[in-house]
Amino acid sequence: MRVLGALWKLNAAEELQYRANFVASFASTCFYLLTALLTLSLFFRHATSLGGWDFWEVVVLLGVFNALSGLVEAILRPGIGDLAAQVRSGNLDLVLSRPVDAQVFVTFRHIDIWRLADILLGLGVSTYALEHLGHFPNAIQIFAFFVTLVAAALVVYAIWVTLMSLAFWFVSVENIATLFDAVFEGARYPVSAYPTALRFLFFYLLPVAWTTTIPASALTGRLSLPTALASAGVGLGALVFSRLLWRAAIRRYTGASS
Amino acid sequence: MTAGVRIWARRYSALMRNAWMVDLQYRASIVLWIMWGVMEPAIALGIWWSIAGQGAVGGYTRTDFARYFFALTLINQLTIAWDSWYLDRWIREGDLNFKLPRPVHPVHEAIADNIAYKARSATVLLVIWTVVSLVWPVVRLPFDLKTIAITAAAVILAAMLRFLISFTTGLLAFWTTRATSIMELHAGISLFLAGRIAPLSLLPPVVAGIASWLWFPYMLAFPVDVLTKATTGHAILLGFRGQVIWIAIWLVLCRTAWKAGIKRYGAAGG
Repeated sequence: MRVLGALWKLNAAEELQYRANFVASFASTCFYLLTALLTLSLFFRHATSLGGWDFWEVVVLLGVFNALSGLVEAILRPGIGDLAAQVRSGNLDLVLSRPVDAQVFVTFRHIDIWRLADILLGLGVSTYALEHLGHFPNAIQIFAFFVTLVAAALVVYAIWVTLMSLAFWFVSVENIATLFDAVFEGARYPVSAYPTALRFLFFYLLPVAWTTTIPASALTGRLSLPTALASAGVGLGALVFSRLLWRAAIRRYTGASS
Repeated sequence: MTAGVRIWARRYSALMRNAWMVDLQYRASIVLWIMWGVMEPAIALGIWWSIAGQGAVGGYTRTDFARYFFALTLINQLTIAWDSWYLDRWIREGDLNFKLPRPVHPVHEAIADNIAYKARSATVLLVIWTVVSLVWPVVRLPFDLKTIAITAAAVILAAMLRFLISFTTGLLAFWTTRATSIMELHAGISLFLAGRIAPLSLLPPVVAGIASWLWFPYMLAFPVDVLTKATTGHAILLGFRGQVIWIAIWLVLCRTAWKAGIKRYGAAGG
């Protein structure tokens, strides 16, 4: 923990030098949100609901999506997203020889603090949309939201660990993160808005879309207790899975170099 | 004349062989980029498919949406140009220095890269489309030689237009470090105005009206509409006219930007 604290301090000092980047990243997020909202209003020009969700409910979900992708951009992409490059260049050796947990170190090594603003922006959008709905979630719903959001973040993390671990087996997976980006786009809309074939792809093969639908359901009061518990369970399972996969991958790595 | 043609044919075959070989090293990457290119229209199609479940939307039935987005995916892959990203890197990191003294203008290398990349990715997509249409008859298009010929012409012009836009935007890297952001902005606008998220006729009339005064529809929506036969007769001629006009405008912009940029670049280096 202390090691990470020191790392982050260094990291923050470094990033603070580039304040113009904040403006640029904030502007690009706002532009992205704007296009997403315009896309939604285009859909709603021709429909009254998407998979049973009305406009502002989908906006709540869009806020959750923005918060989660902020998390990806701030922590996962600069951290574990760099793993493939580390494996190829051999820099991973330096990490492994340190007296810290390598997985934690690789995950939190570099944080793009400006992108953390995306998380706040996303939650802001959700709050605004909830106000429009005239729905104020009670304490239990807010609690359920945070539990399911953490579970969602763990699922997303496990997907990243899985994709990046491929780097230990195949060296040339430089832009494998593109695969995540492509599929994660599907999480911008509620699960129920898709035809069955796509649902199968997004939700069972790569369980990405649930990561936004469930926390957003918690906020809008659609979430049932069994789903909430299941999602918490899946989140924990994802954490354990990522740990096991990491171990297997590292064993493979040390095996290859010796 | 014929000697000139022969020289250029030799140059291009060398450039394209080179580009093909370079791409061959990044097979996995290219598959990933194609997937990325397929997901966006697949998601849009998914949503429209659900919406059109209750009946046609603005004249578009589920089948029409499926055909529209399959055509869009293929034509997008055939016309997409990554040049602004490459140019941005060439200029910022100085790779351009090595390209400038060559006897062939760097733009030819970029064009050859584009042809090689598109030939490969479009072949992959055509195979996918064919396989899908075997099990999903909805996306079968009637085989009609005339439509295919007209579409091919529209696609070539659209590819030229998108290449010029991408190349010109990339040249902005001579002046700013945020050339790729400008390209992202352009891509964001093209989501709506080029028909990537929905057929143009489903946009609010005001927006569609604005689009018709700009180059966006000629990048993508026009060739897609030709292939799906949403645009027929006289409108096809108007579309070709729009494409040619906008290609001419962007060609002038591109040449101006190149000349001014190179002058500036030389000044910075010397």
